Amino acid sequence: MGEVLDVVGGIALIVGALFALLAGIGVHKFRDPFSRMHAAAKSPTLGLVLVTIGAALRIRTFSAIATLTLVAILQLLTSPVGTHLAARAVHLRVKVPQDGVDELERDEAA
Amino acid sequence: MIDVALVITSLAALLFVARMLRGPALADRVISVDGFVSTIVIGVTIASVRPGSGVVESTVLVVALGGFVGTAILARFIERRGS
Repeated sequence: MGEVLDVVGGIALIVGALFALLAGIGVHKFRDPFSRMHAAAKSPTLGLVLVTIGAALRIRTFSAIATLTLVAILQLLTSPVGTHLAARAVHLRVKVPQDGVDELERDEAA
Repeated sequence: MIDVALVITSLAALLFVARMLRGPALADRVISVDGFVSTIVIGVTIASVRPGSGVVESTVLVVALGGFVGTAILARFIERRGS
């Protein structure tokens, strides 16, 4: 039982780390700030949730599991808020070339 | 397995640092700082599993909170200063 949990936890840790790598590749390759934000905001959150699950499966003490659950919930709450703040600031201050019509600007002007 | 995960996370952090240095706009740097902090949180979580690393899980909580405050402050900074 213990070894099975260790292996499953290890796989979760590696997959979570791969999501972080995916975010790094996205931030490196995408061409404008909003695309980069899309890569940098979403996949590390999923990666962190996977890594906390993996760590909880490997440590298996009550205090560790409680702390890691708190970390996952905190990240799920704060990551969208932080990214929204950054996206709003970028939209206000930086001219980013867009493919279609800028809907936020149009709605705010109306 | 823990070491493999740590190496992968380090590579991701290096990619974020590369984007941070290249820019071109301030916005790109702020975005990559945000992602870099998330990657650091992932790395510290993995390090807390490693036996003998001396990192406790509570550290992760502190880093995650600090990262959110940092992103909020940087967003304010863009709004005030412009591109």
